[in-house]
Amino acid sequence: MIKIIKRAFFIVCTLILFFSVQSANASNNFSDIYFFYGEGCPHCAEERDYLFNVLLKEYPDLKINEYEIYSNKENFDFLKNVSNKLGASVGGVPFLVIGDNYFVGYTKSITSEAIKQTVQKCYSEGCLNPVSSIIDSNIENDDPEDYKKNTEVINFDIEKNIDEKDQNQDIRDENSKKIKIPVLGEINIMSLSLPLLTIVMGALDGFNPCAMWTLLFLISLLLGVKEIKRRWILGIVFIVASASVYFIFMSAWLNFIIFLGFVVWIRLLMGFLALLGGGYSIKEFIFNKENGCKVTGGEKRQKVFEKMKLAIQENSLFLAMLGIIILAFAVNLVELICSAGFPAIYTQVLAINNIAEWHRYLYILLYIFFFMLDDLFIFFVAMITLEMTGITTKYAGISRLIGGIILLAVGLLLIFKPEWLMFG
Amino acid sequence: MKVLKFGSVWCPGCLVMKPRWKEIEEENVWLKTEYHDFDQEKELAEKYNITNILPVFIFLDKDDKEFLRLSGEINKIKLVKIINENKNK
Repeated sequence: MIKIIKRAFFIVCTLILFFSVQSANASNNFSDIYFFYGEGCPHCAEERDYLFNVLLKEYPDLKINEYEIYSNKENFDFLKNVSNKLGASVGGVPFLVIGDNYFVGYTKSITSEAIKQTVQKCYSEGCLNPVSSIIDSNIENDDPEDYKKNTEVINFDIEKNIDEKDQNQDIRDENSKKIKIPVLGEINIMSLSLPLLTIVMGALDGFNPCAMWTLLFLISLLLGVKEIKRRWILGIVFIVASASVYFIFMSAWLNFIIFLGFVVWIRLLMGFLALLGGGYSIKEFIFNKENGCKVTGGEKRQKVFEKMKLAIQENSLFLAMLGIIILAFAVNLVELICSAGFPAIYTQVLAINNIAEWHRYLYILLYIFFFMLDDLFIFFVAMITLEMTGITTKYAGISRLIGGIILLAVGLLLIFKPEWLMFG
Repeated sequence: MKVLKFGSVWCPGCLVMKPRWKEIEEENVWLKTEYHDFDQEKELAEKYNITNILPVFIFLDKDDKEFLRLSGEINKIKLVKIINENKNK
């Protein structure tokens, strides 16, 4: 009995000793947090303001390690390593690591409190520090001096932070410009900007006549189909397939940009592409005053027309649908070239905005809806009235001019002031 | 006077012009017009040198000589004015 009591006492003591050592180590070790940001990113500035002006005052021993990722590839690679280690899906910055906890994005009212609680918890209970192991392995592999060059360890400096506070206050104020609209109440202009840009760019892209001719071909053939149900099904299948091609292209492009990372040259490249596209549209507006439809790709058009005819005449509805889907994919993929500027540039704007991943896809859907609006109008009118209607090309010139100006503006902002395209 | 109208099913501008011409033709029953599909009647389109823009409207006199050519979307008032001015050609 005494033996059992002795053994139990020994086990309890060992456990107490083990846990107290663990806890002491962890809490003693905790002092570093890791803050990944992008130069010019307004949410990063907001979070930085909080970290230095609020958190650091409460926890003066805290060390904030800052990493700028837009212009520093090594820092960006480091972010990738950290996010892999933590199993985090990082779609943008700011990204903050406290122990083995992380915060993607920043919303003052929610994230600040969560950050504070996590720091408090790490101080009192201790936290693991998986980032330090990455730093250690990097230092072992690379030249430690190089690594230090990319890492700014900031200690609390109240004088410096007072200066920066005003600057950050300006950014914060800019992010919360609110207007009062009767009935709707107070609306944040910044939160309206991205949907508005989406709608405008989608609608202007929709004015592009490239994608319209196949739909008009199809409608002309569908009007000869006696079965009403078949007419509607085949038309809707074509429209949905065309929208899907756009959705797939834009999603793939978005993921490609995110995969490449927030590298400056991609943003600059897209900026220059926007300037080129904008310049071309304005040149067309000035030198090509003729309205009407440009005649291009005669043979290709005839082939598509013949294949579409075959698909529609197919007895089996399933096979007809399949034929229409294949044609919609093939034609829209080719036609994407003539309108790729708009969706690609818009996707770049989406990528630099710090919003949830699923929000990005919703924005793409919103863009496509407005892009397809004129197609939907023509299709529904034709199916209901059994007559083909065209949307006037009279305004193609002015839409070209507006589109050109928007592309130029977006291009200049992507190159010189990307933060102005990061809507709140 | 005769008007040759060149258009196509895939061209929105041509579709916009269809009802305008229909109205003009109903109001001026004496006017001879012919519609030609750009894709179906390639030879005729080539003969009249239609290459860049659709729709195209070619105005012919009594001797089938072209005296005016318009392309793109044209408003009804302008078309009626042209037709009335050249009624006797």
